[in-house]
Amino acid sequence: MQRTRRIAILICLLLLPSVALRLFTAVYPFFNTIWLSFHDWNPAFPPQQFVGLKNFQALTRDIAVTGSISFTVLFVTISTLLEIVLGMAIALILHRAFFGRGVVRAINLIPWAIPMVVAAIGFRWMYDTQYGVINDLLYRTIEVKVPWLVDFWGARAAVIATNVWKSTPFVGLVLLAALQGVPQDLYEAGRVDGTNRVSAFFYITLPLIMPQIVTIGLFMVVWQLAAFDLVFAMTGGGPGFATQVLAYRIYQVAFTALNFGYASAISMVLFIVVGIASIIGLLLFRKVEVSL
Amino acid sequence: MRLARAVDGALLAIAVFIFLFIVLFPFYWIVLSSFTPKYELFTIPPRYWFSTFTLENYQVLANSIPLTRYFVNSLLFAAGSSLVSVAAAFLASYALARIQFRGANLIFIVFVMSIALPQIGGLVPLFELFKNTGLINTYHGLVILMSSLVLPFTIWILVPFLRQIPYEIEEAAIMDGARLPHLFWFITLPIMRPALVTMFIINFIIAWNELIYPLVFATSGSNKTLSVGLVELAVQPTAGGGRPWDLLSAMSIVMIVPILIVVLLFQKLIVSGLTRGAIK
Repeated sequence: MQRTRRIAILICLLLLPSVALRLFTAVYPFFNTIWLSFHDWNPAFPPQQFVGLKNFQALTRDIAVTGSISFTVLFVTISTLLEIVLGMAIALILHRAFFGRGVVRAINLIPWAIPMVVAAIGFRWMYDTQYGVINDLLYRTIEVKVPWLVDFWGARAAVIATNVWKSTPFVGLVLLAALQGVPQDLYEAGRVDGTNRVSAFFYITLPLIMPQIVTIGLFMVVWQLAAFDLVFAMTGGGPGFATQVLAYRIYQVAFTALNFGYASAISMVLFIVVGIASIIGLLLFRKVEVSL
Repeated sequence: MRLARAVDGALLAIAVFIFLFIVLFPFYWIVLSSFTPKYELFTIPPRYWFSTFTLENYQVLANSIPLTRYFVNSLLFAAGSSLVSVAAAFLASYALARIQFRGANLIFIVFVMSIALPQIGGLVPLFELFKNTGLINTYHGLVILMSSLVLPFTIWILVPFLRQIPYEIEEAAIMDGARLPHLFWFITLPIMRPALVTMFIINFIIAWNELIYPLVFATSGSNKTLSVGLVELAVQPTAGGGRPWDLLSAMSIVMIVPILIVVLLFQKLIVSGLTRGAIK
């Protein structure tokens, strides 16, 4: 009896720092945000006022919010699809044996390791309509110049491309590890049966690594739904609301407009979108795991 | 057959070349811009090679913002957050991986799932909380926030790592009457060292790159990090609407050089840590 109690105390002590940190900085803010979303609150005029669903009604009519929802979904969907397809290509290349492979694998880590703000600012400079190197290269090859960051779809394409540039190598890294886990003798057996490389990829490799593809896909979706740095440093949500994402909208409403209640309501939208994406992802994961 | 192999090799070489070009060209462009005098940056067409090599951009940068201060802040912020997260995760993972108790797995899953809570969604309550408790604009306040942010991923990596290590050595030490602090310090810590070092490095990189927390919770200059200084330079209004690309390039280089050194030194460890979560 004495012993079990001592072990219980020990468990609590060991878990205490981690639990305290998460309660303090993640769990409490989460529940408090739910509470605040039903209130009007400007920190400059202190009393919080209960307003029911007013904030939620307001955001359905707010173009800055509805626009940011649709661009966030578009941004995350296209980014994730491109990252998985191109990441797969990177993984297949880095899986082959060639001279200098170790160095190339190290280089593949660099876009993951640098800050998103540096990528955002570097590309913003390269996308400059007048002096940017991307337009110069385009002009030299196909004689066109695109007003990237001042055009509605140009800015959207540029933001997504920068995000894909930054995040794809990480996806490639994870998929490469998945490829290395596929047993070699399956390919040997395939070769005896006369399968070529393309069908070996689609009938052996792809089904076997599907759980890892779904896992990294889910991770990228959840993570990118809350993306902030890129849009903040690259476009500021512009031109107009073209590249406005939910996370940046929340930040602006909270810390520029000081509308804490409304910002919390928009945060609720983000929580719900993340929740839906997680459930779809987990169902998908269960399906591919069962089918193995 | 030989022709097919030659074609295959050529295609692979082309693919590797395209990949390297896309990944490395932006870095080349930032390096080039950072060593080019301002008036030569705004030419049509742009210059593709160092024409007038200059260090002036770096000097102007160091004179116009407290660069050293930001650099030291970033270093302390990243190292402190990384250390606290790894230490807390070490203790928690010992409880979750070594002590058989009901609910251990559930607690582990809840920790991991809390990765999905978006950091940005909790900013408003945290801001009020930090203002009321005097944690705003403090070093330890930032470390608390950041270490908590990377904690779930750290636990996710450490718990399975500890579970796959045989328990016998620790068991023998306990039989010999080792007390818990001794056990941790002399047995468990050395056994887990590769995983702890890996997570320290990965968390260091993530914290070094972090923008939101320092941006919101270090408003008073003395705690600002490089990431905050960089975006302030990028978004502040300027005469004529142009951006100071000379200074921004130089500051980007200052911010990524330490990271590049860490990546090149610890490439193997980083890869093993990042991929262990996805591959069982």
